[in-house]
Amino acid sequence: MKLGGMWRDAIKALVQGPSTQKYPFERLKTPERFRSKLTWDLTNCTGCGLCMKDCPANAIEVVTLDRKAKRFVFRYRVDHCTFCGQCVESCNKNCLELPEDDWELATTNRQDFEVYYGNEADVQIVLDGEAETGA
Amino acid sequence: MATHNPTQKAPERETFKIPIGPQHPALKEPGHFEFAVDGETVTDATVRLGYVHRGIEKGVESRTWIQGQYLVERVCGICSHVHATTYCLAVEKLAGVEAPPRAQAIRSLVAELERIHSHMLWLGVAAHEAGFDMLFMYSWRDRETVMNLLEGITGNRVNYSANILGGVKCDITPEQDAAIRAGVDYLEERTRHYLDVVQNDTMFMRRTKNVGTMTREQAEQMGVVGPTARASGVPRDIRVDAPYAAYKDFPVNVITETAGDLHARFVVRVNELFETFRLIRAILDHLPEGDLQTRVKRKIPAGETIMRIEAPRGELFYYVKSAGGETPDRVKIRTPTLPNMASVLELAVGHQLADMPMILTGIDPCFSCNDRMITVRDTHSNQRDVWTWDQLRKYGMNAAQ
Amino acid sequence: MNTLVAFLTMVIFPGGLFLLFVGMMYEWLDRKLVARFQNRIGPRWFQPIADNVKLLAKEEVLPEGVHPQLFYVLPVIALSGALTAALYVPMFGFEPATSFNGDLIATIYLLSLLTLSMGLAGANTLDRYSLVGATRTLTQLFSYEAPFLLALLGPALIAESWQIGEINDYARDHWFILTQPIGFVVALIGLMGKLELPPFDAPEAETEIVAGAMTEYSGRGLALFHLGKGVELVIGLSLVAAFYLGGLANPIDFVVKTVLLLGFLASVQALMTRLRIDQTVGLWWRYGALLVLTQYLVVIIVEGTIA
Repeated sequence: MKLGGMWRDAIKALVQGPSTQKYPFERLKTPERFRSKLTWDLTNCTGCGLCMKDCPANAIEVVTLDRKAKRFVFRYRVDHCTFCGQCVESCNKNCLELPEDDWELATTNRQDFEVYYGNEADVQIVLDGEAETGA
Repeated sequence: MATHNPTQKAPERETFKIPIGPQHPALKEPGHFEFAVDGETVTDATVRLGYVHRGIEKGVESRTWIQGQYLVERVCGICSHVHATTYCLAVEKLAGVEAPPRAQAIRSLVAELERIHSHMLWLGVAAHEAGFDMLFMYSWRDRETVMNLLEGITGNRVNYSANILGGVKCDITPEQDAAIRAGVDYLEERTRHYLDVVQNDTMFMRRTKNVGTMTREQAEQMGVVGPTARASGVPRDIRVDAPYAAYKDFPVNVITETAGDLHARFVVRVNELFETFRLIRAILDHLPEGDLQTRVKRKIPAGETIMRIEAPRGELFYYVKSAGGETPDRVKIRTPTLPNMASVLELAVGHQLADMPMILTGIDPCFSCNDRMITVRDTHSNQRDVWTWDQLRKYGMNAAQ
Repeated sequence: MNTLVAFLTMVIFPGGLFLLFVGMMYEWLDRKLVARFQNRIGPRWFQPIADNVKLLAKEEVLPEGVHPQLFYVLPVIALSGALTAALYVPMFGFEPATSFNGDLIATIYLLSLLTLSMGLAGANTLDRYSLVGATRTLTQLFSYEAPFLLALLGPALIAESWQIGEINDYARDHWFILTQPIGFVVALIGLMGKLELPPFDAPEAETEIVAGAMTEYSGRGLALFHLGKGVELVIGLSLVAAFYLGGLANPIDFVVKTVLLLGFLASVQALMTRLRIDQTVGLWWRYGALLVLTQYLVVIIVEGTIA
């Protein structure tokens, strides 16, 4: 039976100072496997659409402009993404990657959450097409 | 001599009812409790659940087998891995495949790390309910260690997504092996300290000893599960009773206490942490070599199965039915809070109002896990009705208009 | 001229604004210390001021079913009681602003006004948390008040005066903490009970009854109660320091002694688990009151044999 059984911790804390991380001023290194904003590489993509099919959050859309000429646009909704990593596992050609460092995604602008990957010209076509249909 | 007339009720005394919830500082999730009190003593208790019904079971039915895993992982924010594991094991059973031994071992490893995280979180919450914020802050600070380990292994701090149908996504590298051992060593030292506090701190003991005592008979009658049952001396642990994943190769010692009061629940959970540390070291020492995944077809053959595993809170039960397509036909989940909830109402009567948050937290309730069913009640006639899916849909559409 | 001095005494120092400010600073120090014991960062120095300014600027919601006059006037009574009490206490090490024979008793009851007001405020509303909180507040009042008073009367007995100023002067060359250690501990713990600090915060245990008697209060009323508590913390600490820690001779003396006491209070707050209300009552009557009475007996006997 003891009274105030945690007094040692209290004194230690007084000496050592708080264990709180002062986030914006000091950042911890994210581990290698940490999952942040998805990146897509066109080179090997066959446009199979498995990533789109398996995505539990409907964050991915692969727009096929021309399958033979490999003209794909990868539309990625960051705000929908749950960072589960299923798309990376589903992709047989290793086109997708979740790097560990791009995780400060907060923004006040909705448009920032819509990310397009692909050839610039193709992306522009998709964007224009959407502007026309008003989607 | 007074004659006993069963139809004539005693004149009803007006009772003073203290509502706790759906919004209340003691509850981190919404639930509604009504405690009838006589002064400070509780004479009656009722509960109403279902505030966080999210339609997950129905949601799984409209997703593919692969997508479903990530949805059920979000049933619970604390024990997310066990849900995904149960789902994967059930689906693998239906598909007739078995994940490779290394994958099974890693599943168990992550599950045990998650148990540490869950128990330490509970220790903090329960201490906070008792007004002992010191223990709350420190156990949560040390919980960061295991969160960081999980983040390093799986890539996320809460919804780890370590599983995939047919195996796991993440391997354990030698560096991670060393990091886990170092983290577990630190946590073991801290846990020893917390055990000392829980068992010896006079003021804390005054709030836990002989509060909410549940005898073994009561525990068996009410069918409580997990640490709540083990604190009453019921040796009930799915990891031992029906070993799954890698628990066949890494046997677990069941930790029980006989007292059945809040103090015993504290001691059981803290002692379980030591068992978990031992298990983690054992798994790391004998991690089988081999692949991480086997292929699972996109279409699962028709059939139905059940799967039970030991979540940090107790037995987690999944029923999965396939009609042979790409989506599940039915997924039924029963989380450990549901069988434990009844015990709260039973134990509450006769205790002080001040003990209520402690007794409630004693079972480690998780309301959002729990709320998978709603009863529709007509407030005018106070009639309960069972609604069919179509009726509910129609009602929802009308309400939306 | 005299009127001006009296006015300044009431509004600026030691009553009024100065005391409110010191009260908030002590509240901050208390919160900061508890935070540091718990390995947290804790609030910045202006946090209590910011809280109170914000609360004072906010709308005060009048709940249904309360007596409106009582609802508005109770916080004022609570704060003014605490501020009036400051006039008889050697605030900041200066001579008390005013004094009369027996002002010790008056001061203690002025301090109790806050607790009484809180109890009434809780009982005034229909809210069930408030009602339970009010019951607990008043129960606690009846349990700590007697031992607290007895503990403060110990030094008064020896100093043979019931005037705070005189006891303070007498205590300067008599450290009562050495001769009456039990009285010191009971007085300090009694102060914690009075201020409803953990572990005696059952009347406002947030995990059970939200904010207890204060649940229905918002805006100005809540701010006034908070300020009253801050003031009472300072007065209580200076009373205990003046009686038991060798009196308060100058401002430095005051700061050093009261901050030391506050550090002790903060550590008790951090290390202890909240007591249930029945346990609190049991603690005070079974141990607190009896121990102080025993000490009285010893003091009287020793006094008798010496004289």
